[in-house]
Amino acid sequence: MARATLGREAPAFFRQGPSAFSRFLVFSALALLVMVADARFHVMQPLRTALSVLLYPVQWLAMRPVLLAESASATLGAVAGNKADLTLLRAQLSAQSQRANLSEQLLLENRRLRELLALQQRLERPALAAQVLYDAADPYTRKVILDKGEVQGLRLGSPVVDELGVLGQVTRLFPLVSEVTLVTDRDHAIPVQNARTGARGVAYGDTSTHADALELRFMAANADVAVGDLLTTSGVDGVYPPGLPVARIEKVERRTDAVFARIYCVPLALVAGAAQVLVLAPMGLDAPARPEPAPELKPARTGGRR
Amino acid sequence: MIMRPGQRLLMPVNPGFVWLTLVLALLAHMLLSMLMWGRAAWAPDLLSIVLVFWTVHQTRRVGMTVAFVAGLLVDVHHAGLLGQHALAYVVLSYLAIMVHRRLRWFSVMDQALQVFPLFALAHAVEVLVSLLMGGGWPGWWVLLAPVAEALLWPPVSLLLLAPQRRAPDPDENRPL
Repeated sequence: MARATLGREAPAFFRQGPSAFSRFLVFSALALLVMVADARFHVMQPLRTALSVLLYPVQWLAMRPVLLAESASATLGAVAGNKADLTLLRAQLSAQSQRANLSEQLLLENRRLRELLALQQRLERPALAAQVLYDAADPYTRKVILDKGEVQGLRLGSPVVDELGVLGQVTRLFPLVSEVTLVTDRDHAIPVQNARTGARGVAYGDTSTHADALELRFMAANADVAVGDLLTTSGVDGVYPPGLPVARIEKVERRTDAVFARIYCVPLALVAGAAQVLVLAPMGLDAPARPEPAPELKPARTGGRR
Repeated sequence: MIMRPGQRLLMPVNPGFVWLTLVLALLAHMLLSMLMWGRAAWAPDLLSIVLVFWTVHQTRRVGMTVAFVAGLLVDVHHAGLLGQHALAYVVLSYLAIMVHRRLRWFSVMDQALQVFPLFALAHAVEVLVSLLMGGGWPGWWVLLAPVAEALLWPPVSLLLLAPQRRAPDPDENRPL
């Protein structure tokens, strides 16, 4: 018997195209494909750029009330808190002028010493001021969007700082805007140096303990780390210039059953509320090329099948 | 057309209005996330409500293609994984197509109760994708998001159906 005569469904009276379920399968497969291509193979940047250009007019429109509210609150806040700010700034200025006088002398001394040591001169880094447009509304990541992009000369991987410390790094570049991954993002790691002891380590973003924090991992349980130590960039990564303040150590947990201490740090930069930031040129451009790995190590690494 | 007793006969929809409200919903979604609740996990997703609404009421115009593209745009705006919202919106759109004939038989309040599982499932897809891709748990507050979206269903319904509820022959007693 022909199969069509057993069908319980009525024949289509109006053509409606493919069924909803088949369309659902096609589109969810497409979404999964896009996800895997984005997360594993990183080939979705052209699509992302095209969509961001498409989205820009709507974003621009949405930014108008935000900027208006910010400028209004800034004006009102300026009237109210002007006097307090002024006294604070005067105190800061007098404290800093002392250091500034000292730094002239140190700069001269430093240059002579560097010449003496025939070290590579530290280059004056070009910087670009930018404004934070908005925090990315994704509860899983810690990212902000800047109002400068490729057109204004930003480059991928540039470190971003505010007046207090390191904020993060430019991780995605669009023609008119760019994305900055904050130092508190789960996937962000920054090589740091303890300013007191000189010990180098790596600080990872940590969103589990509080809203915005860092964790200094892989420090031995008996390492010389104290609450209140300042962590600065060490400059060994070829991305961040050395000496920028990153975080301050908040809590050190030493347990006898663990090899490593658990060290929590709070970022110095205003990761939750920065508005004006400075984008530095990435350091890797003038660093020497990375040496090739030794050839005899390769078979040892791939020979794990044994 | 068979209708629920007491349901008003609606004017045909203006297609421009559908697209305008979708763009406005995207705009409102961005604006609210930037101005008010930042990256709070409990924040209702206005765009998904409007998307479900038009999928239920205008199934032939707004379907899965619109949902997919809107999801990609939201992903780019959120700087998240590309395709995460697209998948959630496609699931939402499919479920909305499945229930769209039944849903219009209920009053607006009962509809809110019936769309709640749709939004809950869409958020579950989003969280699941993020967990699979190593994103981490957004916190228990995420359970509030579908509740907020279901609560917003009646006002959004009233607002979006208002142009179609106008009288077909306006006179001085019924200017609108």
